Amino acid sequence: MTTESLNKNDKTEKNEKSPKRVRVLPAPVTGQEVVLVGVIALLWAGLALSTPAFLTAGSIQPLLVATAPIALIGVGMTIVIITGGIDVSVGGAIMVCSVLTAKTLVGSGVNLGVAVLLSVLTGGVLGLVNGVLIAYGRVHAIIITFGTANLFMFLGLQIFGSGTVNGIPGTLAFFGRGPDGRTLGVPHAFLITVLVTAAAWWYLRHTAGGRHFFAIGGDAQAARLAGVRVQRRVLLAYTTTGLLVGLASCFVIAQGTSTLDQTVGSGKELAVIAAVVIGGTSIMGGRGSVLGTLLGALLVQSVASGVTQLGWRSQLSDLFVGIFIIVAVGADLLRARARRSR
Amino acid sequence: MRPRFTAAVALTATAALALTGCTKKNDTDTAAGGDAGAKTYKVAFVPKLQGVPYFEAMNAGGKEAAAALGNVEWLYQGPTQADAAAQADIVRSYIQQKVDALIVAPNDPDSMAPLLQQAKDAGIHVATADTDAPSSVREVFVNQATADGIGQGLTDALLTAMGGKGKYAIVSCGQTAENLNAWIEVQKAYTKEKYPEAQIVDIVYAGEDQAKATQMATDLMNAHPDLTGLVGECTSSAPGVAQAVKDAGKIGKVFTVGLGTPQAMKPYLQDKSSTAAILWDVENLGYLTAWAGAQIAQGKSFEATNNVSGDLSAVTYDSASKMLLLGPALAITDQNVDQFNY
Repeated sequence: MTTESLNKNDKTEKNEKSPKRVRVLPAPVTGQEVVLVGVIALLWAGLALSTPAFLTAGSIQPLLVATAPIALIGVGMTIVIITGGIDVSVGGAIMVCSVLTAKTLVGSGVNLGVAVLLSVLTGGVLGLVNGVLIAYGRVHAIIITFGTANLFMFLGLQIFGSGTVNGIPGTLAFFGRGPDGRTLGVPHAFLITVLVTAAAWWYLRHTAGGRHFFAIGGDAQAARLAGVRVQRRVLLAYTTTGLLVGLASCFVIAQGTSTLDQTVGSGKELAVIAAVVIGGTSIMGGRGSVLGTLLGALLVQSVASGVTQLGWRSQLSDLFVGIFIIVAVGADLLRARARRSR
Repeated sequence: MRPRFTAAVALTATAALALTGCTKKNDTDTAAGGDAGAKTYKVAFVPKLQGVPYFEAMNAGGKEAAAALGNVEWLYQGPTQADAAAQADIVRSYIQQKVDALIVAPNDPDSMAPLLQQAKDAGIHVATADTDAPSSVREVFVNQATADGIGQGLTDALLTAMGGKGKYAIVSCGQTAENLNAWIEVQKAYTKEKYPEAQIVDIVYAGEDQAKATQMATDLMNAHPDLTGLVGECTSSAPGVAQAVKDAGKIGKVFTVGLGTPQAMKPYLQDKSSTAAILWDVENLGYLTAWAGAQIAQGKSFEATNNVSGDLSAVTYDSASKMLLLGPALAITDQNVDQFNY
């Protein structure tokens, strides 16, 4: 299905200039990104015309902050889905990371660096658990992560211990919506997300290791025969997702209130998967783009903010997101058909 | 990996995600008291959600009542997510256990009605507390406050801060939550009647998601630059709207009130981003619920005015609507917030 992504010339990685290499490399964007940029531009233009306050810093900055956690986890989720897997445990993992971090912030008043490190490491461990079970357990990712999702929720609720976490200090305001969360008007949370996305885009497109993820999703057996260390790659994909969940949990705490309750993370796995699918990544694996995921997350949040700012009924944003997902999957199937008939 | 299978499983499992997350935990506190021969009545309460401070405070009040009454065994178990199906399972298990009185705070009043009928058919006395199921066979509804009390309390507290005039918006939670909608109706009518110079410009629904409530409040402030008030209609959006005002640096320009639990609202009441939290004494509500359960379990009827305990010496009962009323709403401000430990 995706022979174009099967990179058989790992050893000649440095030889970028040869015409043969160029053909092996896929286009820098998969097609969906251009469409998404167009849709977002149209949407923003429409919103700017109908509500003058939309295209102001006070409106766009919070929008970017709200996009950040979904888009950041989306980077990991895109890689996971490219390998043909899925991770439905990220909501539970957000709960564990954020409640642990929030409790530590309240209990021992650690500084920003320690809090982030704690959250990221916790997320990494949870991702590693998923990765080990999926890479070496030979059970499909959805079953494993469905199981771990419930385990993580149990763990999270145990840490909550029948009560909310109150009085969380403003240590994480660096990632928040307030003035402490911006430098020169750019929200830190969004900037970090863009940098991570850019690094992942470069890695996935220009390194042998990155191309291997696509090879696994295209045909894991063929990839193995071509010398790809499939298990190690799969382990890396889920661990990366876990680490990003840890960082995103800090964003979630910073965006919330000084209280954390057990609804934190609830349903976020679906929001992340929606962003990935709208971004043009094939749910079947083998094809995908982290840039698309960032744009997908931005589109979903723009719609949500737009619906509120226009004074429309809140449930319309669910309708629009539903339509986007179906249209995106349809477009993906059409592209796949066009490729086959070529 | 078989792509078709993957997609099919993915869809099924994501749909199933909404139905999971219920960990079984039987919070059974036997108040073994009274004579050895006297019957102990099992009074079970099923909250909307377990592990949130609101219902945990009700649980504490219920336990206290059971200990004081002596002949009551207080059972408390709720779903870990505010989900009607998970709640229905718990109700069914109590029906099978043949408790003497079953009291529910339904997530979905309509789907709870047939279950309450089933319980009645099994010889169990049924009641509702916190949220009513009006079209059901419940014998009594333990009401924390009338819709008028809450709606007017919220409106008066907000409009006093706003100087009796101006535009405000409401960030509500569940779109179908009967009590929230009843309060909103009162707020609309009461604002129109008592504060003709004030106007509700929008009502949005954020679910139980704090970060979403905060983002929606931010969007509302952007869409209406002349907005001077925000109402957080439930315990997750009350701190959410205050956080949004704080992040936007509009403390003193935009005033907020909300249905918030005291400890969660404390930091916002102290920095003035929230003017007041309107609530009731939740522990007393739990106490009254357990007491009412014991009454109906013993087949006793209610007087027009009931002496329940030292704190609740004159609880009124309306026989037309079969409703016990806890009392007037309580305004929590920075002055009295420390009196409440939940």
